[in-house]
Amino acid sequence: MPKKIADILKEKGIPINFQYGGTAPEELVEREVKKEPDPRPKKLLNLYFDTLSSATVEFPYWYTRKWKELEGDIPVIRRATAMKYAFSHLTPTIFPGEKLVMGKARYYRGSFPMPWESEGYFLAKEDELYQAALKKGSASADEVSKFGSGGGNVTKSFGSVVSIAGKFGIREEEVPALIRLSREWVGKSVDDLRSKYEQMMPDYDFKEKIMRSVICMFESGFTLPLGREVINYYYPLQYGFDGLIEMAKERKAEVAGNAGGDGVIGMDRLYFYEAVILVLEGIQTWILNYAKEARRLAAEETDPTQKAEYEEIAECLEWIAHKQPRTFREALQLIYTIHIAVLNEDAISGMSPGRVGQILWPWFEQDIEAGRTTEEEVIELLELHRVKMTCIDCFASAGVVGGVLSGNTFNNLCLGGLTRDGRPATNRLEFLILEAGIRCACPQPTLSVLYDEKLPEDFLLKAIECVKTGTGYPAWMNNRNAIEFLLWQYGREGMTLEEARAFSIGGCLETSPGAWHELTLNGKTYEIPGGAGQPTSVGVHFLANPKILECVLFNGRDNRTGEQVYPAHNRKLETYEELWEVYKQYYEMTVDVLCRANNIQHDIWRKNNMSIFHSLLKPDCLTKGHHIGNLGIRYNGTFNVESCGTVNLINSLAALKKLVYDEKKYTLDQIREAILANFGFKTAEEVGNYSLVTQEKKEGGEVWDDIHTDCLLAPKHGNADPYVDAILKEYEDWFCDMCTKYESLYAKPLYACQISVSTHGPQGAVTLATPDGRLAGTTYADASMSPYPGTDRNGPYAIFTSATCWDQTKSQNSQLNIKVHPSAIKGMEGARKLLEMTRAYMRAGGFHIQYNVVDSKVLRDAQEHPENYRELMVRVAGFTQYWVELGKHIQDEVIARTEYEAV
Amino acid sequence: MNGKELKHHDCRNFIPVDVAKGICNVHKQMVLIDTPVCEKFRTLPKCKNCAHFTADPGQDTMGTCEAEKTKPWTFADLITVTCENYSAK
Repeated sequence: MPKKIADILKEKGIPINFQYGGTAPEELVEREVKKEPDPRPKKLLNLYFDTLSSATVEFPYWYTRKWKELEGDIPVIRRATAMKYAFSHLTPTIFPGEKLVMGKARYYRGSFPMPWESEGYFLAKEDELYQAALKKGSASADEVSKFGSGGGNVTKSFGSVVSIAGKFGIREEEVPALIRLSREWVGKSVDDLRSKYEQMMPDYDFKEKIMRSVICMFESGFTLPLGREVINYYYPLQYGFDGLIEMAKERKAEVAGNAGGDGVIGMDRLYFYEAVILVLEGIQTWILNYAKEARRLAAEETDPTQKAEYEEIAECLEWIAHKQPRTFREALQLIYTIHIAVLNEDAISGMSPGRVGQILWPWFEQDIEAGRTTEEEVIELLELHRVKMTCIDCFASAGVVGGVLSGNTFNNLCLGGLTRDGRPATNRLEFLILEAGIRCACPQPTLSVLYDEKLPEDFLLKAIECVKTGTGYPAWMNNRNAIEFLLWQYGREGMTLEEARAFSIGGCLETSPGAWHELTLNGKTYEIPGGAGQPTSVGVHFLANPKILECVLFNGRDNRTGEQVYPAHNRKLETYEELWEVYKQYYEMTVDVLCRANNIQHDIWRKNNMSIFHSLLKPDCLTKGHHIGNLGIRYNGTFNVESCGTVNLINSLAALKKLVYDEKKYTLDQIREAILANFGFKTAEEVGNYSLVTQEKKEGGEVWDDIHTDCLLAPKHGNADPYVDAILKEYEDWFCDMCTKYESLYAKPLYACQISVSTHGPQGAVTLATPDGRLAGTTYADASMSPYPGTDRNGPYAIFTSATCWDQTKSQNSQLNIKVHPSAIKGMEGARKLLEMTRAYMRAGGFHIQYNVVDSKVLRDAQEHPENYRELMVRVAGFTQYWVELGKHIQDEVIARTEYEAV
Repeated sequence: MNGKELKHHDCRNFIPVDVAKGICNVHKQMVLIDTPVCEKFRTLPKCKNCAHFTADPGQDTMGTCEAEKTKPWTFADLITVTCENYSAK
């Protein structure tokens, strides 16, 4: 039987340890806090558990039909009219027991492709269009991305159901229409047009090589052009859709034929306002179609309770289709409807609802005061909201939905933070949101606490109670760090300290600009926050830091594909400084070419596929008369450079510095040979497991034992070791500064973004062994500050010291995940310890921390018996997901993370 | 219409949960799409049930909507409960 690395290390007495602070009890330990959903949400959540991800071509069919008919019209009008037509023709479906209704498509977990973005990837693999797409670098990430085969993922075709994009099922009756639709967008989609124009860049071939090597694995402009941002519900909540249409009509009359002093885009305002009216009318019809469906069902229903519920639904929808909501339930239905409408306008992941407890506070306060509702009723509605949000699916390619997102949609709801005048912004409704999150444990919306020293202790302890459920939420974000970052990045666009306090998290942990709005309800005035920035899911995304180092070591060559990706540097790399210099050169070349390509993608998107509904929601599009592409949104410097695998890079640099340059124990060639030999181990693909600990030795591989041992014993991040912390600091100082040298299509500087989402799986899969001892094909360390599994030997406070050795406010975020055994935080004492630990990290300057409260034995059992764990959720890197819907790369990595037995 | 060809997702009483199944609103239970329908079947408006639909020669999934001047292509299983031109055969 082949030897596993864990046994080899044990024999050698190497202190790699996957538990810290004691030994976990032998028996399986359940999470301490466990509550049940209320009966109605429980029934609907159970329905979700039994539902497949299902796609339909209804929306793209109606959209394309109208789009073709309007050939020759102005793009924004053409798009708005097509959008109106599509929304107006969606089939409404209402499921028994629902109070909150509507959805992206007619299925419970429905979604649809948008061939106007990209049309090739959902075709059959045999199709010539798919084959053509594969030759482009963008398809390479699809090939190395894996979905979990359980849960609702349709990874294989069956019966009359065809699997597309590796995750979604579509009825075979619709497939011919899907093929026809996709062919109609050939040469016209954002993907095809960007390919045409990107080729005008002199270094286009270099860019495609980078994509093929999966050094970069996400191109936002034609996959998910919006997202990881905070939506803004204010305008419909204040004015109702009728009010907004009226406003747009007035402005249209004012601007028609007037340039308004702007000779470039001043005249565009007329078309934008007309587009706003068209889209809003379409959304009204869509809502009213659901109201009609509720009336139809009520008329046919024999059960008086269900009949009354259908009538209540109809009444609610008939009102919110036109007017400002009157009650908490109507307000919640409206914000959910707005949310879905935005997601139907474009392919989006990470459209976060923002600070919902503060946004809906006016209705909650007035309903409670008037005795119109109770807290229990509100909790039930919030649970139902969770179920509906969990049903959201995002349709994109396998590489994007599987490789980057793990099927998650990142609707982050934030709690806490400060008011405009610097007081704690928490309220009673936020306690109920946490309670709903505890009772109805499901991935969406994920919750985050905007931690500030001013937040009340009872609120923070309620948040800790929620953490102890093991749902992975709330995550903890440092309010002060975020404000400092926002003022640095958006000060040049006029952001003030007061406005910076309106921020929220978009997507998993992207600090996103916000604004305050005055809302009036029944004569009383409130101030509510909402998103005020462009998406942050855009720019140069997911650069595989260790893979770039691999190319440096091998003179620019990718040994996996055999392609010469970078120009050969032909340097001997005789000093650490020289190595670091070449690394920076390769990295900057990468960012440079990808930034220009991304600018072309988004430029085509804004010309042909601009957002209209999404735009009108955010300040100041309605005031200025401009959509997002014409800089209508208040804050536009949101494009960024996103890295992955930082800790493996830092550990590898530390190993090289120590073993090759300081101690001169090995030559660089010896390290290269060991990497190519995978330190004598089989590949992860051969073993079928993607964490370091389970890798198996090849026969005769023992010759590499010494060098591998030394690489593993070299200093590692997360141990408060100044040797390796200095390398991290040097990297971060350079990286955060380097990003700002590049300019987005909106002529704003880029900035650093440091989260891995799921990309540490597929990007690890394409990377050879690394000098830190990590083996080929295994997953990188998650996040950006999490230690590599088993290498953090000095406890959580040592991790904090290492992770805060650099100024985290220079980056939009940084990410640290810690796995804690449930017994380590038991009872009120354990809760307080966990809160104190969190507080310590925030005080030290950490931006984000979150906890996976789980017994690793449960995860191992779940991997062997997934059928018993449909409801099990884990935190990956910025998001919570059902275990069975995660790909094996990520499952293995989460199992391998160091488990803390004490905090 | 031949009853053997009918599927649950051709029925007005069917609430589609996903691509394989849905809820029968008459019997209040989950049913698989590809199983025989019952005597309570009511036709769901779809292009294939519309007087304006002409199937393409030689196959039965794709066709043309004759109701509009531009005669756009369409497909037999497109649900048309929201279509202003739908006219039952």
